[in-house]
Amino acid sequence: MTNSWTDLQNSRCFLIAGSNCAENHPIAMRWINRARDKGAKIIVVDPRFTRTASQADIFAQIRPGTDIAYLGAIIRHILVNKLYDKDYVLNYTNALYKVSKGYKFDAGLFSGFDAKGKKYSIDTWGYQLGPDNKPLKADSLEDPDTVFAKLQEHFSRYTFDKAEKITGIPAAKIKEIADTFCQAKPATILYALGMTQHTTAVQGIRSYAIIQLLLGNVGKAGGGINALRGEPNVQGSTDMANLFNSLPGYLPAPIGTDKTLRDYLVRNGSIQEKPLVALLKAWFGQSATKENDYCFNYLPKYNLSVNASMVRIFDLMNKGQFKLLINIGSNSLVSIPNRQMVRAGLAKLDMLVVSDLFEIETAQFWREPGVNPAEIKTEVILLPAAFVYEKDGSLTNSGRWIQWKDAALKPLGESKPDLEVLDSLFRRVRQLYQGSTDPKDEPVLKARWDYGQEPSALKVLQEISGYDETTGKLLPTLADYLKAPAGSVSTGCWIYTGVTGNGNLAARRKNGDPSGLGLFKDWSYAWPANIRILYNRASCDANGQPVDPERKLVWWDPVARVWSGNDGPDVVDKTKGPDTPEGKQSFRMNPEGVGRLFAAKYTSGMPVTPPADNLSPIGLRPAGLCVDGPLPEFYEPVESPTSNLLHSEVSSNPLVVIPATVPGIQKVGKPEDFPYVLTTYGVVEHFCAGGVTRNIPVLNELMPGPFAEISKNLAQKIGAQDGDTVEVASARGKLRVRCLVTDRLQTYKVNGKDTETIGIPWGWGFASLSPGPGANELTIGALDPGAGTPEYKACLVNIRRV
Amino acid sequence: MKVSRRNFLKLSGLSLTALATGLGLDPEIAQAKGYALKTEGSQKLPSICHFCSGGCGLLLYIKGDRLIHLAGDPDHPANGGTLCPKAASLRHVAYAQERVTKPRRRAPGSDKWEEISWEDALDKVARKIREVRDSSWKGSEQLPDSKTGRPVSYAVNRAEGIAMLGSAEVDNEESYLLKKFSQILGTPYNEHQARI
Repeated sequence: MTNSWTDLQNSRCFLIAGSNCAENHPIAMRWINRARDKGAKIIVVDPRFTRTASQADIFAQIRPGTDIAYLGAIIRHILVNKLYDKDYVLNYTNALYKVSKGYKFDAGLFSGFDAKGKKYSIDTWGYQLGPDNKPLKADSLEDPDTVFAKLQEHFSRYTFDKAEKITGIPAAKIKEIADTFCQAKPATILYALGMTQHTTAVQGIRSYAIIQLLLGNVGKAGGGINALRGEPNVQGSTDMANLFNSLPGYLPAPIGTDKTLRDYLVRNGSIQEKPLVALLKAWFGQSATKENDYCFNYLPKYNLSVNASMVRIFDLMNKGQFKLLINIGSNSLVSIPNRQMVRAGLAKLDMLVVSDLFEIETAQFWREPGVNPAEIKTEVILLPAAFVYEKDGSLTNSGRWIQWKDAALKPLGESKPDLEVLDSLFRRVRQLYQGSTDPKDEPVLKARWDYGQEPSALKVLQEISGYDETTGKLLPTLADYLKAPAGSVSTGCWIYTGVTGNGNLAARRKNGDPSGLGLFKDWSYAWPANIRILYNRASCDANGQPVDPERKLVWWDPVARVWSGNDGPDVVDKTKGPDTPEGKQSFRMNPEGVGRLFAAKYTSGMPVTPPADNLSPIGLRPAGLCVDGPLPEFYEPVESPTSNLLHSEVSSNPLVVIPATVPGIQKVGKPEDFPYVLTTYGVVEHFCAGGVTRNIPVLNELMPGPFAEISKNLAQKIGAQDGDTVEVASARGKLRVRCLVTDRLQTYKVNGKDTETIGIPWGWGFASLSPGPGANELTIGALDPGAGTPEYKACLVNIRRV
Repeated sequence: MKVSRRNFLKLSGLSLTALATGLGLDPEIAQAKGYALKTEGSQKLPSICHFCSGGCGLLLYIKGDRLIHLAGDPDHPANGGTLCPKAASLRHVAYAQERVTKPRRRAPGSDKWEEISWEDALDKVARKIREVRDSSWKGSEQLPDSKTGRPVSYAVNRAEGIAMLGSAEVDNEESYLLKKFSQILGTPYNEHQARI
């Protein structure tokens, strides 16, 4: 979230699209309803009439996976009718920047497409640069080279009528959504997995960013783009980078060709030197010195072409690459799409180690009904894990609040916190390597790893927050880290710096809210630097004064010559006023310092003359890129009932990834055989893969099992009554559940043709007190090329009454 | 004190206890004694909900080392004492009969679990980590040079045979140690739910 749960009360309008927060994030509704009491409007776009939709002023039923089509129409509407916030667009976005002359978009493809490699060469996606290597800016938005002009041209194809034919939402309703959302300020967008579980995931969210930047809603109380994250600590675990391609604090992980720290900086900019060195100091302590490149060579270097994201790991497992899987707090046999990949993959391991509260499906894959245990040679170790309230530690919520809790109970039976298990395992492994002189074992032997005999979670959080390595004292604040020279400080995750600097700030419990804006600055600690609303510099005008007198977040104090406010100012330097280059930057994490309507290839601070010694030059900060285009484009899901109305020859994402090392494991179905669209989702009574909730009797009573939700028309067509058993089949698998015949799903028109969506809640499996068939028997592991997110939300199925 | 119909009904629920303890039927005394809540005398400890990313505050009522009641934390700014049905059910996890309470091992080809000690479990896993790390070690690999495109040998330091999954379900400190552990061992193959 750019903002927070408690900030939702400040909004005048909500576009909730890709989230059923009334069921999956009930706390959201507490704050949305407060805003509604003050007159805010609620717009819900969803494939089903959900419980959230029941609270909406405007509801639109959409065909799964077609969001970019209607969002594109909203962007076009904003541009054509000049509904954008002109000052904001000119000052805080790259609208005026001149795009490279070679940039082009034609027939579904951006310039630089390499059909053989299924990737883009992105050299033409940059800016026109001046002799100082800085982007050229036009004088007005009328200039045909500007980002703004490219935006107008790109989205000119997205008319309301075209969007209706693609999405199934009537054109008049899309216009009503556009008008309602554009008229209310501030307005916010809420989304969750309904937007991300597509092969166009990243570009869908890019569409949100473009809308919110054009309307000037980012950085404001009641505005922003709020990703409602799905698990108790998924924000924290993303910050800590349990992801193959990053290191804690959103540092890129090193790749094979990064021989040295310098090579790494050539790719990633000098801005990453301090956090990476601080991380290496946290991990290798005194062993990491300037002379030995801070032990950079100790880190594993991943192979770019392997792209080992979650689904791909199971693909590699099927190939036999992994002998050992250590699986902590994760139930892949239920949660991974096309679960036959998981079933077959786990059987290829020598050893599977599972740490969990319950005997989840993944731990007992060897005795799933239909599987012969004698044929499965995998040794399985199941470790009993302590629950959240049985251990000390912190969790980071969706609004980036790092909240500490002390253990309230002893772990049940012999169960142990994962912290203790990991600590114990590491120390045992180190013991096994004692005395080795093999260079490959140096990282294990030289790692800094001392959290006490009984490992202390607070000591770990202190390592994450960081130390002054000269004095051995805790780093008091993020500012202290930022001004220290590289190599003199350590931080395990630099964005958390300061959380334990002056006492354990994550444990703070002062719940006062003097501004009345829901900032709660003295409750726990929000990263970075306790800023509650990101990019809040953009809530001020060019003079540094708040544009919304009712929702003042930060301001420049011209007398004291400092940025101050109700929130922590999100500025480069609090003493640099709005008349300085630093003080103008509203998006300091972008190399341009402004919001990026067009995701251009660009690195700030590139030297004008290359280094004399024939080395590659190092810039300051490279831009984040989208691998499948600098602007969002609508592509059909991999399995779709129709072809792309904008460019039928490039129907789905041209960069889509479908890992299938074992031939035939990821079959793609055709609409002739599988005419209906399946979408999967959760229910309020159960949580994710159900490992916990399906073992809680009261919840099983409330929601005993999965079902297939179908429209009355479809029920009539297949001769099914409410409650009948139906078989739902995709190209990959089939399952039997009872059908729920409902008005919540309606037949809709796609390009003039009647179309049906079927909905199945997904979180069931063969184990637990309440077993049931899992919808991931049907889904496809087709991945967004940038994020690696699978397309759970749209695939093709057939259905029949049994 | 006047005994209204409403008070009488309240009282009648207590009357058996009242009689049994020999208090007689003096409603004033019975009412004062009768409404001791099960939470009386318990210690209230705050915690955080473990479902969606709302981070709502929980209040755990602990009496004699046992969790006897769980409610929303009224001081928490986000939920102000409220809880959704899932969060409210969290007290059932503390003593759920289906919880795994001892380490278990399933031998290759076996159709059942056997209980093992923590010592044996951790020892087996640690030895397996070393075995797989050593046998699957990839010190270097041939990659195209960034300038010439020709294959060149680069040091990559990877334990190719070990993968680690997890987790959005554990605390920050645990998630961090998991990452640190995997990087020190040399496996970049650490993924988790945020990807999906």
